[in-house]
Amino acid sequence: MHVAAPASPEMGMPTTTPHLPWRRRIAQVLLYGQDVDRARKTKARIGLAVVVFAIVYAVIAVRLVGLAASPESHIAHHAHTSDAVATARPDILDRNGEILATDVKVPSLFAEPRRIIDVDEAVELLTAVMPDLDTVELRQRLGSKRGFAWLKRQITAEQREQVHRLGIPGIGFLRENMRVYPSGREISHLIGHVNVDNQGIAGIEKWLDNRGLADLHRAGFAADREQKPVELAVDLRVQHALRDELAAAAKTFSAKAAAGVVLDVRTGEIIAMVSQPDYDPNNPREALDPKRINRLTTGVFEMGSTFKAITIAMALDAGKATLKSTFDARAPLRYGRFSIGDYHAQRRILTVPEVFTYSSNIGAAKMALAVGVKEHRAFLRKIGQLDRLRTELPESAAPLVPARWSEINTVTISFGHGLSVAPLQALMGFGALMNGGSLIPPTFLRRSEDEARAIAKRVLKPQTSLAMRYLMRLNTEEGSGSKADVKGYYVGGKTGTAEKVVDGRYSKSKLLTDFIAVLPADAPRYLVLVMLDEPQPTEQTHGFATAGWNAAPTTAKIIARIAPMLGLAPRFDLPQAERLILTSARKRR
Amino acid sequence: MRLINLFAAAALVLAAAHVYNIKFAATVEAEKVAKLRTEIARERDAIAALRAEAAQLENPARIQALAERHLPLKPLDPAQIITVEEIPFPPHDGATPASDDPAGIRIRIGPGNIATGSIVPLPRPR
Repeated sequence: MHVAAPASPEMGMPTTTPHLPWRRRIAQVLLYGQDVDRARKTKARIGLAVVVFAIVYAVIAVRLVGLAASPESHIAHHAHTSDAVATARPDILDRNGEILATDVKVPSLFAEPRRIIDVDEAVELLTAVMPDLDTVELRQRLGSKRGFAWLKRQITAEQREQVHRLGIPGIGFLRENMRVYPSGREISHLIGHVNVDNQGIAGIEKWLDNRGLADLHRAGFAADREQKPVELAVDLRVQHALRDELAAAAKTFSAKAAAGVVLDVRTGEIIAMVSQPDYDPNNPREALDPKRINRLTTGVFEMGSTFKAITIAMALDAGKATLKSTFDARAPLRYGRFSIGDYHAQRRILTVPEVFTYSSNIGAAKMALAVGVKEHRAFLRKIGQLDRLRTELPESAAPLVPARWSEINTVTISFGHGLSVAPLQALMGFGALMNGGSLIPPTFLRRSEDEARAIAKRVLKPQTSLAMRYLMRLNTEEGSGSKADVKGYYVGGKTGTAEKVVDGRYSKSKLLTDFIAVLPADAPRYLVLVMLDEPQPTEQTHGFATAGWNAAPTTAKIIARIAPMLGLAPRFDLPQAERLILTSARKRR
Repeated sequence: MRLINLFAAAALVLAAAHVYNIKFAATVEAEKVAKLRTEIARERDAIAALRAEAAQLENPARIQALAERHLPLKPLDPAQIITVEEIPFPPHDGATPASDDPAGIRIRIGPGNIATGSIVPLPRPR
């Protein structure tokens, strides 16, 4: 082809654009365009790269700022690999904040038998340091090919040091929670105890588990000690004073057992509860001994003459008697082959206050019969004496109620024989008699008066309660409770002496004596129950073993000791019982 | 263009170094926090052990045994407890805030102005 080109004077060759195949020409046209300068294209590409990187850096900068501003949520929770998985329990405190039960971390010895190189050497060294390990069992455990085996749980810090220094491979320590009861012996039945895995198996500890702690532990929570402490209504000082005096009384009167309760009548809180013989919850092996049961909740007893107060309250409330009524106690009551007589037989007509102060069985029986068999039974059911009393303690006993209830049963139950109740139950009924007529179920947890009023059940008229307070004080001034009087605290009380049933017959030598005291009698705040099982006569009691000689003086000693702790100031300017009931009756009009 | 190149490269290196620093510092802080948590747990355990020991030492039975052995104190009698209102304070005669015995505490007995080893005589009025 001939291309016209300007002729160059020097060269004879024409300068032409190179001939490209027609495909490449099309590509060039499409991609680059005809008139784009190559140098400018390079610049544009570099600019594009700069913009991209700038965007990337901007993103990184924004992310940095964001990360710095937001809270750090990726810090690894370092698990305490040196602690065992078991279970922390909340502290248990008394009403003043004293520690009754707490967790302490103690080391426990374990072995990984697979990793133990020389079993004999390990056994020798370990038994040298801890001689109470069983050699045969230890050899067996270390010789097995398991991955993990406990050797001894809850060892002391010195033992841990010594075993650590032995340097045996395959032996290690895990820290476990151990439950410690600093004042264990004082509160044994009340607080209960735990097993080696820190699970509650008796008392308030068991109640804690039932309340939800066991579920928490099963779900894997509650591994550390971040839980709120549990506050009980018990007062450790009052508890100790009660226990100390009961132990002294059991020794003085050679009694088989002694038990006592201090109850707040307005709130139903149990301020102290002691049942001797008891055990040390730090060493709970003794708890299995059947002699060491809690006699107040798991034992049922015929309470004796203290029940007369309930009978009289029933008669007064039903309108079948007033404080001025009289009952004929000249001759014993006869029922077939049974004859009901009085212990301090007066052989005359007695007024209602005299029935109470002379503790007349005949008078009480006649009052109960005046009310009627069915109403008697209904009243006892109303104040909770016929059904099992359930408190926070998992252990409870059902009362022994006669299957067929006829007149003879009413007669015997009216003076406290024939119906066996748990002593705490009888005290609950007494509380209703003293606090104005409201039946409040007893509790071991703190409870305010308003909460108590909300769950209280009205069982008596207030005038009946007033009359009963007067009778209780009269009994201490003039009657069988005179040894329980403590000057300054206006104590009222009722003795109860019950013959125990031996081989189906009432035994005259084996007695169960109890005393229920109320203080102060004009505006009751606390009830104190003292119970002695088989007290013996001593020289000071002139050969008598009835409640007025042993339970009543013990109650006096207890009240003298605990009244200041309960916040009661002594008052020495109080009128006699007679004047007091007149003034309060006048005030209420 | 070469300048932008240089800046970009330098910025890249600096950014990488900065990120590394921050990550390292975060790891250090996390370790510190974990160590503090362990220490807090240990302190709590120590506190619990000490409180248990204190409660054991304050056990009422132990205190009673020690008191009976070492102290001459006796149990309290209700007649020994009175309130402040029942205390018979001495009557205030001649006691005004301006006098030299404003609370009426000084008991005037005898001819007055007695001086003993421990009582300084009042200045005689002129």
